[in-house]
Amino acid sequence: MSDALLEVGRLNAGYGEMAVLRDVSIAIRPAEIVALVGSNGAGKTTLLRALSRLIPSRGELRFAGRSLAGAAADEVFGLGLVQVPEGRQLFDRMSVAENLRMGAYQRRDKAAIEADLERVYALFPAVADRRRQLAGSLSGGEQQMCAMARALMARPRLLMVDEMSLGLAPVIVDALLETMSQIRAQGVTVLLVEQDVHAALSVADRGYVLETGEIVRAGTARELERDPEVQRAYLGAADPVPAMPAGRAHGAP
Amino acid sequence: MALLAQIVVSGVLLGGLYALMALGLALVWGVLNIVNLSHGALIMLGAYATYFLFTGAHVDPFAALPLAAAALFAAGYLIQRGILNLVIRGPMFNTLLITFGIEVILTYLAQLWFSADYRAINPRYAGSSYTFGGVTVPLVQALGFAIAIGLTAAMWLFLLHSRTGRGIRAAAQNLVAARLYGVDPKRIYALTFGLGAALAGVAGGLYGTVSQINPYIGGPLTAKSFVIAIIGGLDNPFGVVVGGLFLGIVESLTALYVGPTYRDVASFGILVLVLVARPSGLLGRTA
Repeated sequence: MSDALLEVGRLNAGYGEMAVLRDVSIAIRPAEIVALVGSNGAGKTTLLRALSRLIPSRGELRFAGRSLAGAAADEVFGLGLVQVPEGRQLFDRMSVAENLRMGAYQRRDKAAIEADLERVYALFPAVADRRRQLAGSLSGGEQQMCAMARALMARPRLLMVDEMSLGLAPVIVDALLETMSQIRAQGVTVLLVEQDVHAALSVADRGYVLETGEIVRAGTARELERDPEVQRAYLGAADPVPAMPAGRAHGAP
Repeated sequence: MALLAQIVVSGVLLGGLYALMALGLALVWGVLNIVNLSHGALIMLGAYATYFLFTGAHVDPFAALPLAAAALFAAGYLIQRGILNLVIRGPMFNTLLITFGIEVILTYLAQLWFSADYRAINPRYAGSSYTFGGVTVPLVQALGFAIAIGLTAAMWLFLLHSRTGRGIRAAAQNLVAARLYGVDPKRIYALTFGLGAALAGVAGGLYGTVSQINPYIGGPLTAKSFVIAIIGGLDNPFGVVVGGLFLGIVESLTALYVGPTYRDVASFGILVLVLVARPSGLLGRTA
């Protein structure tokens, strides 16, 4: 896929001697929302760490036509490959406003930063209300919004969101997914990494299923939702062809 | 009563200098999680830099402070980049050993180059003082106090409001998130260690104007800085001001009511008490 924003080819990564990812290949086109789903321990977070260059990897890694081999974490960030990490990872003893300014750490365009702050506050009014509070004092949902707002302050080209829904009430997850669509409408490409397969596929255009370090399924969100194997493993269907729509599975045959 | 007031004023003036000494140690400790045992040796080098600029090039000791700071900043930056960076993810025991080794090397190099003689920085105005209501304030001590408090405040503003200061705090609070958001830890760490060394350099220059110097002053000054950092905590630069003033006043009172030779007994007694009462101060951030 030559028009891809991110191209990952036969990527291998792990921790020390322990291999986690085996020959992972994915591609993301501009302004797509792509879901990467899989159960706990499948290697989703490891893939994001490799993409952000927090851990070394072997294989092809191209972003916006540039090879990321040998790039450091701060350089990758500078290119616009920005991650909202699992567990939010806010700067707890900084105010919400300062966390947002940390998103703009590599930017020098003061006026544009101020304008972006207002734009991001408009997108997350709950964050705006808490801008003077310490980030560590926010509720889980507010922290997730703060983390996403911080990422947007970097003007990402590709926003990678790791386990956004973890520990959050469904109504908050729905609101965040809605925001995700708005972010994409502004031209930001999104990689959504989720254990909550149903939530992820509900907003995604396409998806990949990662299982024990390998991509085992790929397709449009609709195809994956209808895939009996995906339904059985991730969408709570009791049987490949359930007599009644079970759990939160949509579009059961 | 006038005597007590005099002692407290002397203690406060001494405490300001102590605060500046501890500020660099607390900064490096809080951001890099390294208790820099060579901090006192860097103070000693700052004192010698100021001394030689004064005696050799006739630079006023207060005008020499920025030069001492710049020289020590460069030294600190290189020590971090070249040596400490190798063990930055290692356990604290490793960094304690390495910084202790640096302290030993610097002390013996100083003895080799500068000899073990006692030296003093004595500008013309060294004996000047002002008297307010029976309390004498020596000019040099007062200037040193003002510079120490001014630098602490400047450091606080820098950490709180500058982009680089925010990067330093980000690396201290959450290293993974800092790396994900474009902070280069190598650069930030070297910069922080350089700043800590520069603060030590200025503190050393001021120390040289109020006290005699020799190559061995480093060890006790590291220990005092450590006491102050534990009392004051690592998060807020004004914590070290509180800790510094406390130690300065305790030492002055001890010198008067117990005897001058017991000054260090008092400060290191406090160190022992703090370690017994709050051993977590040794490793925990909450120090």
